[in-house]
Amino acid sequence: MENKKMKKATQSTEGKKRVTKTDIQQFLLRGRAFIALIIVLVVFAVLTPQFLTTSNIVIMSKHVAINALLAIGMTFVILTGGIDLSVGSIVGMIAMIAGGLINEGINLPRLGIIVYPHTWMVIVISLALGTLMGAINGFIIARFNVAPFIATLGMLYVARGIAGLRNDGYTFPNLVGRPEYGNTGFGILGSGELLGINYSIWLMVLFAIVAYIITTRSPFGRHVYAIGGNENAAKLSGVRVGSVKIIVYSISGFCSALVGLIWASQLLASHPMSGDAAEMTAIAAVVLGGTSLAGGQGGVGGTLIGAFVIGILGDGLVMMGVSSFWQKVIKGAVIVFTVILDQVQARMQERIALQKQEELK
Amino acid sequence: MCKKRFILILSIFTVLSIAISACQPAADSPDAASEGGGLMCIIVPGVENPFFGSEQKIAAAKAEELGYETLKLVHDDDANKELELIENCIAKDAVAIILDNAGADASIAAIQKAKDAGIPSFLIDREITQEGIAVSQIVSNNYQGATLVAEEFARLMGEEGKYIELTGRDTDTNAHVRSQGYHDILDALPDMEMVAQQTANWDQDEAFTVIESLLQSHSDIKGVICGNDTMALGAQAALDAAGLGDDVFVAGFDGSDDVNESMLAGKIDVGGLQPVAEMAIQAVIQADQYIRTGSTGKPEKQSVDMVLLTPENACMYTEYAPNGKTSCP
Repeated sequence: MENKKMKKATQSTEGKKRVTKTDIQQFLLRGRAFIALIIVLVVFAVLTPQFLTTSNIVIMSKHVAINALLAIGMTFVILTGGIDLSVGSIVGMIAMIAGGLINEGINLPRLGIIVYPHTWMVIVISLALGTLMGAINGFIIARFNVAPFIATLGMLYVARGIAGLRNDGYTFPNLVGRPEYGNTGFGILGSGELLGINYSIWLMVLFAIVAYIITTRSPFGRHVYAIGGNENAAKLSGVRVGSVKIIVYSISGFCSALVGLIWASQLLASHPMSGDAAEMTAIAAVVLGGTSLAGGQGGVGGTLIGAFVIGILGDGLVMMGVSSFWQKVIKGAVIVFTVILDQVQARMQERIALQKQEELK
Repeated sequence: MCKKRFILILSIFTVLSIAISACQPAADSPDAASEGGGLMCIIVPGVENPFFGSEQKIAAAKAEELGYETLKLVHDDDANKELELIENCIAKDAVAIILDNAGADASIAAIQKAKDAGIPSFLIDREITQEGIAVSQIVSNNYQGATLVAEEFARLMGEEGKYIELTGRDTDTNAHVRSQGYHDILDALPDMEMVAQQTANWDQDEAFTVIESLLQSHSDIKGVICGNDTMALGAQAALDAAGLGDDVFVAGFDGSDDVNESMLAGKIDVGGLQPVAEMAIQAVIQADQYIRTGSTGKPEKQSVDMVLLTPENACMYTEYAPNGKTSCP
């Protein structure tokens, strides 16, 4: 079996570099998230009749998009060796801020007037605020040398508290705006479509491409990897570690804010508990996608696949009617199992390197 | 060596996929056997709470009896998850959705989405703030139940003394309606004094800690009135731990079996029975009728009266429905 595979592979690349057995194995392990994705897809397609319909694929991609957007932001943070636990809370906080801006406007008591910003301004203000929250995370981490886990854990509580305070724990209902204030149309962000595909999916694609280019083609991207690889070495070679950290947490804050807006827009209501525990699914997607929690290794492409694995697994289990408790067990098992593969891969790479050295001798 | 590892990995994947398929309920039988038939989604907040667990179980049993397949889902009080589940049901071509929703305002968009996709929704237990989106909204008469509980609570306390109120989640309409019902009775009695009012978010552990800390400053209370049963159980446990279990009257609200047992054991003193079984069954019957005839023949908003529970009648109810007993030992 193994020999056959090898022969085939060797034949197909005839004339090119000789493909060894270890190369194939390495490919299989490298692409483990992708393989997991294919397995998940095939299993559900066989078990659930409506699974591979166009409408269901669009719906699933829409569900994936939310987590993928958070996970893309999280990838930057984790690549530097950090972590952002405040993601879910910032989602909730921004949802409440946006809801408040639409339903209550900005109250200026000194002037005795209430300003209702246009919908696009609501979006800009909310995104700016989310970015600011992320920047605060980054500033605390970079300037005061607080462990990212602690700093963002603090922000997790603070942002969730602000979400509750904004309307005393109540929901902002019916975010349709009023034509006379020019703030209608907020729902388009979450429910609008282009070519039959939701905006949130387009946003995911756009963000993934931009993030991919930034991480692989820009000096900033190289700095992010450098910090995750060895912070001191990066500092000594002239990387401005502090600024880079502030920027990566700002990116994560920006992504969270965008998700907060999409959620509020989909529901036409903003709820202070929106995004509860969303950070965990985002981290899971990043890790599943092969980014090392220690930093310096991995990338956006893997994260996207990781988000799809988790999302499709979740939706597929729901459609099959698996009990919610089993869903949790299965999701947890898949995440841990994939990370075990991560370790196997690391060990195998070491051995392959040794083997190659010997071959050269 | 490496080969072994691959076989290991592959076998784990296989086991996993078998596990997944093993979890599948035997629901994939050919659908639409009779007129009616098809898939009903039954979505409740979370089956950890026996109230919602029974609600889902009873509704599913009735639906299966009427020849429907069922998909049992939970939204964990998360409106975004609720929307995603409803979208999953749309993708599965469900014929009806039975829903205990995740928020009076936050659920509207999701239910509207189902309606736009041609799937009727039947709400139980919790209302939404708009009419005309769901076909039926069957809720228990929380206000009537709350006044019953409050009257009995006041009678037990001799219509005088200090008490604490634990309210439910602020975002839930039922929390406000119940509290209103309690206060319409208790505030009319001049000697009843509320020394603290706190939310414990419907949660047992939270009720325990809240009462524990409140007892530090109010050890002289005579009663604790709670917005639901799980909080009453938490409060009773905290009182027991402080050695006040027998001196303080505790009122719950829902009629769960746990509280009934606690009542029979002489712990919790008064409760209200939500007619969960009746609501769940009614919702499924109306859904069935709507699917077959295009109308339920009933108004959208329907309320079902609650029953007062005391140690004298607590044994007559199991799983939110009469169990046939006529007297308690």
